[in-house]
Amino acid sequence: MLGEVLNPYYLQVLCFILINIMLALSVYVPLSSGQLSLGSAGFMGIGAYTSALLAIHFELPLYITILVGALLAGVVGIIVGIPSLRLTGVYLAIATLGFGEVIRVFFINWENVTKGSVGLTGIPQLGRSLLNVAKAAGLEPGAFGLRNNQFVYLALAILLLIIVSVLLWFVIRQKNSRIGRAFASIQMDEKAAESMGINITYYKVLAFAQGAFIAGLAGALFAHTIGFISPADFSYHRAVEILIFTVFGGSELVIGSVFGAVILTLLPELLRSVSDYRYILYGIMLVILMAVRPQGILDVHLLLRMRGKRMTRGTG
Amino acid sequence: MVLEVKNITKSFGGITALKNISFSIQQGEIYGLIGPNGAGKTTMFNCITNLVEPTSGEIFFNGEKITGLKPYKITEKGICRTYQNIRLFPKLTALQNVMVGGHSRVNSGVFRSVLRVKSQKKEEQRLKEKAEELLALVGLEQWKDQFAENLAYGQQRRLEIARALASNPTLLLLDEPAAGMNETETESLFELIKTIQSMGVTVLIIEHDMSLVMRLCDRITVLNFGEKLAEGKPEEIQNNEAVIEAYLGKEEEESIA
Repeated sequence: MLGEVLNPYYLQVLCFILINIMLALSVYVPLSSGQLSLGSAGFMGIGAYTSALLAIHFELPLYITILVGALLAGVVGIIVGIPSLRLTGVYLAIATLGFGEVIRVFFINWENVTKGSVGLTGIPQLGRSLLNVAKAAGLEPGAFGLRNNQFVYLALAILLLIIVSVLLWFVIRQKNSRIGRAFASIQMDEKAAESMGINITYYKVLAFAQGAFIAGLAGALFAHTIGFISPADFSYHRAVEILIFTVFGGSELVIGSVFGAVILTLLPELLRSVSDYRYILYGIMLVILMAVRPQGILDVHLLLRMRGKRMTRGTG
Repeated sequence: MVLEVKNITKSFGGITALKNISFSIQQGEIYGLIGPNGAGKTTMFNCITNLVEPTSGEIFFNGEKITGLKPYKITEKGICRTYQNIRLFPKLTALQNVMVGGHSRVNSGVFRSVLRVKSQKKEEQRLKEKAEELLALVGLEQWKDQFAENLAYGQQRRLEIARALASNPTLLLLDEPAAGMNETETESLFELIKTIQSMGVTVLIIEHDMSLVMRLCDRITVLNFGEKLAEGKPEEIQNNEAVIEAYLGKEEEESIA
């Protein structure tokens, strides 16, 4: 039954989609307060290395190492966020991109701990530890008609789905509150927001640190999904890729980030048949999109129109 | 005394925008700040709200020194303003704009907002009701779900006033509220400002529409090239030689010869 449908490859792609949604959110949150941050790859690296090193050397349970990785990324986010307050727009983007490179080079050079550019291998896998937990609780994958490796990826995908759902719930609720209104007003007119009684320093650092925390969490989960990491995983290519998720999907909406991450993770996989040309096609598509819909695929107006149609259909 | 401006000077590089300006506003007054373009009126507003820091001098609000405070702290104390060039939040609805104005009067943080605890829901409800009342006050209740950028010019001006009122100010600063308005709109603005005064809010207004200023204001200060030219009741200002000269220019007898 289940065992025939579930292909570990599809499940792995699903895991990467979910991790990429988190990364897209890590760009969305600072952007919703007007801060274009390209630091997500760097924060992701901090989360990934912290959690992986703690798990390898101290054999701590993964839920602790992942949380510590995310929190450390968040704290670094506060430290980087405060001096970055003076920067806006492209200047902030360049500064945060520079920060990401500093982090990457740091991981390359701290060789006796991080193994330099070779990277870390043998990172405990989250799926495996979920399998062990299940077995300890008396649940055998065989009982569901699953092989062990199917169970590993299925359990991991479900856990990631839960984490993404919680993050989305958090981000959407926050957006529709006093905090979200403060972010939006800062994004639209910082000076006017400040003279409406909003402490812009606090809210900008808050948004930046939340983005860093989410990126760190995604990075830690990435490390324990894939099992090996190297500084190349957190290069500026990654930073730009994450930014594209959000911009492609539509940066005005939370759902835009989700949409962008899903489509752009699936696309290279779907284009595998044209192998060598797939990134050319990917690039062409981005160029066309930015020319036709610079605000991204989803925006407020499209959403309102879709809702409006549904309403007229409902009443008529 | 609600506001006391004491010897405020503001220089931008070599240009002195304000030279040693002092005036004070009493509780419940509508106080006018007038003068030709470039006289330093908006700079005075920016100094009061500390968007720019004065070079020297002090400003007191209800007896408390506010010079050097962050702009958001000044709003918390009870001063709020509108802008000459409208600065609404374009992609927020009219209602959301006014709710942002009430930011400093509510205090839910991240966790209370996300968990939507009872106190936060109540607070949000109160904020929304207050915002709706204020929209009704400025006559925009049927536009509450429109994006601010889609409103007509005169509506945007009134929305800015509603947004400023949402912070419960004791002192409201209006920067050219009648600019670009026709006669009917100006008349309803006059009524609105009078209503705001009757609500116990003190008003400091910059305006170029002289007939509005003269009807509205209890007292007026005239600025010219950053200097205080005159202060007094509307009729005193209207008959002040220096003021007439600043606005209409001096009669130059020699040029005829």
